[in-house]
Amino acid sequence: MAVESKLSHTAAIILQAIHAGYIYGFGVMEMTGLPSGTVYPAMRRLERDELIRSYWEQQSIADAEQRPLRKYYKLTRAGKATLEASQKRYPLLTRLVPSPEVKQA
Amino acid sequence: MRIWRLVNVPRVHLAMLWCASWLVPSRQRREWLAEWRAELWHVLHRDSRQPFIGSCDAGEAIAFCLGAFQDAFWFRKNSPQSKTQGWFQWDSARQCGVFLALLAAATLLIALLLPGARSALQRSPYQDENSLVLISHESVYHNARIPTISIEEYRAWRLRKQDLFTDFAFYRPIRSQIQGAQRRTTGLSIAVASDNLFDMLKIQVASPALEEARRDNKPALVLSQAAWHRYFEGDPHLVGRVLEVAGQQAVVVAVVSDDSWQLPDQMDAWLLENDHDLIALPPESTGFVLGHMTKVALATKPRGRWHMSVSWKGDYDGYDCVSLAELIQQPSSIFLFTLMLACLALPATTPLSLGDYPVTSESLFAATCWRRWGFLMVKIALILPIVYYGSLNLAYINTSLRPMSSEYIQLVASFTGCLLSFRWALRDQRQRCPVCLRLLINPARVGEPSRNFLAWNGTEMMCNRGHGLLHIPELSTSWCGTQCWLQLDPSWKSLFQEAYLPNAGTF
Repeated sequence: MAVESKLSHTAAIILQAIHAGYIYGFGVMEMTGLPSGTVYPAMRRLERDELIRSYWEQQSIADAEQRPLRKYYKLTRAGKATLEASQKRYPLLTRLVPSPEVKQA
Repeated sequence: MRIWRLVNVPRVHLAMLWCASWLVPSRQRREWLAEWRAELWHVLHRDSRQPFIGSCDAGEAIAFCLGAFQDAFWFRKNSPQSKTQGWFQWDSARQCGVFLALLAAATLLIALLLPGARSALQRSPYQDENSLVLISHESVYHNARIPTISIEEYRAWRLRKQDLFTDFAFYRPIRSQIQGAQRRTTGLSIAVASDNLFDMLKIQVASPALEEARRDNKPALVLSQAAWHRYFEGDPHLVGRVLEVAGQQAVVVAVVSDDSWQLPDQMDAWLLENDHDLIALPPESTGFVLGHMTKVALATKPRGRWHMSVSWKGDYDGYDCVSLAELIQQPSSIFLFTLMLACLALPATTPLSLGDYPVTSESLFAATCWRRWGFLMVKIALILPIVYYGSLNLAYINTSLRPMSSEYIQLVASFTGCLLSFRWALRDQRQRCPVCLRLLINPARVGEPSRNFLAWNGTEMMCNRGHGLLHIPELSTSWCGTQCWLQLDPSWKSLFQEAYLPNAGTF
């Protein structure tokens, strides 16, 4: 899905944050500093455009940690392609939110 | 999916999320709420997993929950369910009518609940409002609400044989200290009045204490219900008690309802004195004089306001007489006046034309046209009570305001409300399909302004049920002066099935 040109800077940061391992809404908020009213609707749009995909974690994990079940997000193949295009468009993106590969290095 | 029972989570946050969830379409609500509740739990327990960040303060959690409303609005706006909800849709004529009817009922209910608005809605409490006149000096013709008649003049009129009036009553507003409940001294607005005031107004004060006070030639004090509650804590044994008012001992004889007094100046109490005690007032003391007209005068004098000249100290003084019917402006008369003004001002704010609709079209037969006009009439009929009761509520929400201030507020609110709501009714009508009365959608610019004289230039809107297209010209021209409806025949309908219409959220 060719939506790279439509991706705003905020959406690109959120996509980068999810790619960097901040895979739930509050984690993205903490990483990016964006408010909840911006992050969650942006993630809905990204999911609608099939750039990210959501899934619920296993019940047993949540039960073991004595906390409510959480919804996680991950990049789709189209999302990864869009993120690569966005990284070229916004060169500072990887510095703001380092990718996992960069962090390991 | 199991919903985790949230412990140690403030209820206010959960209540906020729960309220926001009602904006989310029902099919997605459960999952949406589960996600937000789980996220909230992590927001509130952030300190336990990352102690270096510090605990989440209440304001931060509230801000987090407020974001849920934005997220819920996004769902509401982009859900296909909200676009296809059948008859209960905002753009439908029925829903518009239901909304206006509910609004009218709500404003009426509020008017009945507000004491000030409720009493304004009631009829004048005075039976003889046409034969009772308030007399004032001519110099202040436009304001009969200022006391101008001296006690000396009143006394002379009472002693003189009258052709126009059968009787006079006098009252003078003063401010006096009274010892209220628990021996607290409070200042009350009191009318020092002649003892026939309530008889002339036909306000029922049937009290043995009053008869007793009259028999003993003692001043009698009548309290308003509001003052009785406010200053005497609704003491049921107050009647018969002697209080010191304006330097004299007065017996409390009765409590009258707040609605029974609609003459100038808001009063907490009335000190009824006989003529002998009234003489004790300084001769230059001014007050209001109420006159009861004879039957002859009632037949000969014009209703409302009229003028009279009376000889006084060798000269003729001019007086204005205003009947109580004229003085106590009914809210309905103010509303009718503003309604007329709004109708006159309306053409200056929006065109009155509803556009060109081809009457020969098969789909626009008489019943459809009547339905369209009927819808406009229903809208206007519902707007009238909304504006009327709404302006009343606004004017009388604060009971401490003077009656004149309330009337001004009603005047302004009523005019503004009528003008804006009529303007909306016309604009809304112009943007509806004449067949199904739904709001037209998908406005599109057609043509170029630079080629206005060569081709059509303006905005095109369409009915999502395929009834036709509305052309709204950018500039009025000789071939297209106003908006024009293009009726489509049924063969076009297949292209306009709702299932095939693009969702506005996907653009």
